[in-house]
Amino acid sequence: MTIVTVTREIAPAARVSPEAQIGPFCVVGPDVTIGPGTVLLRRTCVVGHTAIGSNNVIGEGCVLGSTPQDLKYKGHQTFLLIGHRNRFGRAVTANIGTESGGFVTRIGDGNTFADRAHIAHDCYVDNDTRIGQSVLLAGHIRVHDGAVIEDMVGVQHFVTIGRHARVGSGTPARRDVPPFTSFYSENYDWSGPPAVRGVHEEGIAAANLDADEEKELRRALHELFDDETALQTKIEQLVNMGVEGEVAELCHFVQCSLQGVFGRHRELNRGKVPSEAETYLPPELKVVVRESLR
Amino acid sequence: MPEISPLAIVAKAAKIAGDVRIGPFSYVGDHVEIGAGCIIGNNVTITGKTVLGENNQVFPMAVIGTPINAAGEPGTCVIGEANTIREHVTVYCSRDKETCIGNDNLLMIGCVVGAGATIKNHGIFDNCSHIGPSALIEDYVRMSGFAAVGSGRKVGAYAFVTGYASVDRDAPPYSRVQGSPIRVRGVNTTNLKRCGFGDDDIRAIKSAFRDLYNGSSNAPRPEALSRLLKESNPYVRRLAEAVQAGFPERQSE
Repeated sequence: MTIVTVTREIAPAARVSPEAQIGPFCVVGPDVTIGPGTVLLRRTCVVGHTAIGSNNVIGEGCVLGSTPQDLKYKGHQTFLLIGHRNRFGRAVTANIGTESGGFVTRIGDGNTFADRAHIAHDCYVDNDTRIGQSVLLAGHIRVHDGAVIEDMVGVQHFVTIGRHARVGSGTPARRDVPPFTSFYSENYDWSGPPAVRGVHEEGIAAANLDADEEKELRRALHELFDDETALQTKIEQLVNMGVEGEVAELCHFVQCSLQGVFGRHRELNRGKVPSEAETYLPPELKVVVRESLR
Repeated sequence: MPEISPLAIVAKAAKIAGDVRIGPFSYVGDHVEIGAGCIIGNNVTITGKTVLGENNQVFPMAVIGTPINAAGEPGTCVIGEANTIREHVTVYCSRDKETCIGNDNLLMIGCVVGAGATIKNHGIFDNCSHIGPSALIEDYVRMSGFAAVGSGRKVGAYAFVTGYASVDRDAPPYSRVQGSPIRVRGVNTTNLKRCGFGDDDIRAIKSAFRDLYNGSSNAPRPEALSRLLKESNPYVRRLAEAVQAGFPERQSE
């Protein structure tokens, strides 16, 4: 157990693993759980009902688990769940969930958040994503496995970022970004409209596909996004041909986005508890949520 | 009695009202006044000649009343009541002109308020929005993420500044502005409805915008402006006056 013997404030009720390291000037609130091997560097503040798993590194000045910046939030008991092996840069902020959005903000395993990134209420960040500097994730966003969001990206609320997709730096992401695609503004002064502008090669490499699957996926991506007109018809044609694996996932994703509001499928969940909340809330928290709803 | 954490550093000369809460590792300087009911989180720095009114909430890591350069003389910063100042917000001040924040504003994470800026009441400023030095933000303004207001620029009441926009000339009241340089994209009807404007007023404002910015969405048309200045609807007149005062001399480009 190596705890730096400089001033820090840990509430007596907090459940901090003896193998966790809490740096100087850190503040840990009473409802916080911190797993073994997690390192909180200087001036980090963890408050709210926040559970942090093992082997995370949390940089200087991070504030995790503070109240949502949502005007509808009225002080209900909601949660921030952080998995294992995540890397947080400096001044990263993550909020707890809201009662109308599903009670939980969830960060999976092995994610990297660069400096000043913000994860707002009711976001679901899956595993192994890379999130760049000053990225703003607004409320109710889902980021799927392995997605890459580059620096200074503002993601609008209810957007879904697909598996192994990439959002180029400085791009306002106002609609869903399909899996395995590269989404960015054409010009570096952001004057070109943000759109799917190619295949995310790194993502395809990271997905470890068979040669055949990769070929099929590339063909589908080119067919759908080289010219984005008549997406619905093209998807129907693909589905009728009988697709499977990644291509089926891609078709399903795009179809969902098309059904959504302005290309945002999750916006259909507005005011409802999304299905992810049931998936990711641990059983003991489900009981707490049900009791508090009574 | 104020509830000050033993780990906080509060200057003896600072005037702290009753029932103020100050978290650990916060620093409150000599010339600071904090009103009743304020909640100051941990690691907050409040320096300069800063006056906080009642019931403000300051979240961790915020810095209020810092001079532009560290060696500078302390400036004045006046903050009204019931503001929420979130994490990592920086409010600058200079000794030339006081920085003013009115009542009931929400400054979200990472906002920057420049020295000498004035924010009136009920504003909501999204993450990383920057308010330049000496800028003026009127009532009920909404700013989205990464939006910036240039120094000395004015954002009219009920205006909406879209994400990534940089306000390099005055934004008229009731408008929705977008881009860099900003363009007027329409009327902020959502906000007007939420603020209790009647349908007739909204219709009048919309038609005024259509007359002013027909087609170009950038330069207001002078003939429409002179007509709108005589309009009976007070909101439309206010819009015309604001456009007349702010826009023409800055439209040279």
